[in-house]
Amino acid sequence: MKKLIALMLALVLCMSMAAISASAEEPIKITIFVDGTIPDQNNGRDQFEARWEELHPGFDLEIIQPDHSSYYDVMQQRMSNKDDWPDVLILSSTYYVDYASAGALWDMTDAWENSRTKNSGRFTGDKVFEGLKLDGRLYGFAPTRGNGCVTYVKKAWMDACGITEAPTTYDAYIEMLKAFKEQYNTAPVAAAGFVGGEAPFINYLPEFYQDAYPYFVQLEDGTWVDGFTQDNMKEALQRIQDAVKDGLIDKETLTYSTKDCRDKFYDDSFGVFTYWAGTWATNLKTNLEANGKDGELVVLKPLEGLPLYFDRVPPVWCITSTCKEPEKVFDVFIDDMLDGGDTQMLFTYGPEEVYWSTKAGTVLDEEYEEGQFHMLENLEKPGALYTKYHIDPMLSLASFADGYYDPKEESVRPEAKAASALFNENSRMAGLVPGTDELSELNGDLTILKSEIIADIALGNISVEEGYARFEDEGGLESSEAIVESLNAL
Amino acid sequence: MASVVSNGALRHEKKPLGMRMRKYWGFYLMFIPVLAFVAVFHYAPMFGIRYAFYSWKVVGDPKWVGLANFEKLFKQSQFSVAFANTIVFSVVKLLLNTGLAVVISLLLNEMISLKFKKVSQTVIYLPHFMSWVVTASVFSLILSPSESGLVNQALIKLGLIDEPVYYLADKGWWRVWYYIINVWRETGWQTIIFMAMLTSIDPGIYEAASIDGAGRWKKMRYVTFPALGNTIITVLILNLAKIMNLFESVFVLQNDSVKRATNVLQTYVYYQTFNSGASADYGYTTAIGLFRSLVGLALMLICNYASKKVRGRGIV
Repeated sequence: MKKLIALMLALVLCMSMAAISASAEEPIKITIFVDGTIPDQNNGRDQFEARWEELHPGFDLEIIQPDHSSYYDVMQQRMSNKDDWPDVLILSSTYYVDYASAGALWDMTDAWENSRTKNSGRFTGDKVFEGLKLDGRLYGFAPTRGNGCVTYVKKAWMDACGITEAPTTYDAYIEMLKAFKEQYNTAPVAAAGFVGGEAPFINYLPEFYQDAYPYFVQLEDGTWVDGFTQDNMKEALQRIQDAVKDGLIDKETLTYSTKDCRDKFYDDSFGVFTYWAGTWATNLKTNLEANGKDGELVVLKPLEGLPLYFDRVPPVWCITSTCKEPEKVFDVFIDDMLDGGDTQMLFTYGPEEVYWSTKAGTVLDEEYEEGQFHMLENLEKPGALYTKYHIDPMLSLASFADGYYDPKEESVRPEAKAASALFNENSRMAGLVPGTDELSELNGDLTILKSEIIADIALGNISVEEGYARFEDEGGLESSEAIVESLNAL
Repeated sequence: MASVVSNGALRHEKKPLGMRMRKYWGFYLMFIPVLAFVAVFHYAPMFGIRYAFYSWKVVGDPKWVGLANFEKLFKQSQFSVAFANTIVFSVVKLLLNTGLAVVISLLLNEMISLKFKKVSQTVIYLPHFMSWVVTASVFSLILSPSESGLVNQALIKLGLIDEPVYYLADKGWWRVWYYIINVWRETGWQTIIFMAMLTSIDPGIYEAASIDGAGRWKKMRYVTFPALGNTIITVLILNLAKIMNLFESVFVLQNDSVKRATNVLQTYVYYQTFNSGASADYGYTTAIGLFRSLVGLALMLICNYASKKVRGRGIV
């Protein structure tokens, strides 16, 4: 009998150990829902996933990636059923605010405060993260800044007009534009619309809008106002109208797309272009040179006494409130993204031997020695090099750890680095506006009305006073006040 | 199976469904994928109609609001503008496109050189295959108020205008050019159906008319045009049922200055969904969609009735 009991006990022990060992071997699955900011399977996503899992043993990363252009459609369909929610998803500012307000996102404030990234001494994005907080709570993680636009002026145009110093005041700026107009007989400024369709709205004409903002803004005392109804917006619209009338801003700004603007900038149709900082500085330069033009560009600092360039609210990684182990997911997926080491390298430069290599070889006619870091040829665009993976090295909110090799110096062109540095030093983040029923109900029509009034004033069809009278007559003011009231009631 | 009834007429009796299914099982088997496709992609989504009676922002539970979304809809001035525009744009477009397609078909039919006729047909069909995005880009260039704008420069050279006109930024001109662009893109394609009808007219009738002394104009007036009459009405009726579906052609040509004046229902829904600065209320946008579908259904039923009257058979 004793032998039988001993045998049974041994069997139970063996079975339970086997069970324990089996469950220990079962990796923890993390489902992530992401747009094209993680390159797709044609661009090394499988190798990225394999490398991430190699760096995080015991975890199985499942990437769900709809087509980039339909990401938010598919995401919303998926979020309509709570059983289908992923553990992690990437969200733009609008959805971030709404989903956080609706309780769909895990509150990561405490996890972030105690995170390795925040306390690493390498992290430089405190202001960005403050801007991401809603009611003092954090629901999303941004590994990079949102980036924004800076104003590029063609150096050749300045030289032709005998302008040796970049303007630092609005008057000097206007004088420069007048000189360009005189010299080249063309409107020297063009943009894709007199006002943008999404925050930060005014980033293509910052010198004219200055401190005005056409959307809802929170003042220092915490109260909300509609920037469109403020006096500084009326002054800004008068400046824009005057500039269009004087032929300093191309009136076709109303119908230009960003591509139209880029093409016209490349063929010298205009000389002052406010566009994205960073990599675009290189793109503008190389495209001008490819068109046989002088590619040297002067990046303007914000005009004296005026607010800084706008930093767009970056897309954020969020953990859903249905995630079973949010702390663990935060720890391995979110916090490790900027670990200053191998995971940050993976997210920034992609999987080795797909995106980059240190092996001796020739890439696009360029010879590299053994041990020399170099980016590899784009799998989908032969003839072009990869520049980054998910994290843009120029916008990253944390540097690599001491002693860890950061290839940024080799991989980023000097003009891009300079434009990015100037932007980072001179930018502020566009604020988030919390979602309210009134905002969602009234703001669609209100935004269209505001855009129409701005366009009509800019083109000189109506005066600023007439524009604001129309705003009142057509219910704009009423809607605006209702939204402001709802925001102040939060 | 046919059986004789008391008055001596033959009556066809259907076999029971089960028997027919057993007999024609192959056909029923082949029908299953189509049935499944229709059920999954056309009928299952209809359950979403219920959201028209809820307030729902995707996350969180939908809140029952009854008919509140419809009340809101009829109170919004922008909705009325969009609804009126949808009807006006569609009807004018329909009449212009069909009318001009008939004229062009008649002209093509009169062409003697077969080679020239084929080249002409190809040239007028081609714009139909251009995407609306490309069409909008091309016309933005052509209509530009700058020195590169073909239309403005031509009109200035002809002395018809002194200053360039920014056509796409002017609410009145926008509509005119919208119709012109639609005619340019779609009319050629619509001539296909009329050309097919014209080629089916018995040449003997033309011969008889010639013997009776009819010239080219009289043959067109008394032979060709009456032969096309039924087809014209059929084309009008069939297209009338689709008039609530305007989106892309309007959307790609809009800009901030004309957006409110030129919105149609589908662009209005788009801006309500993606321009609200917050998650859209899908209950409200579903209510607009449902309203649009109901108007479309009513038009289709009217068309069906008209079709029965004109052609002796319905379109559904």
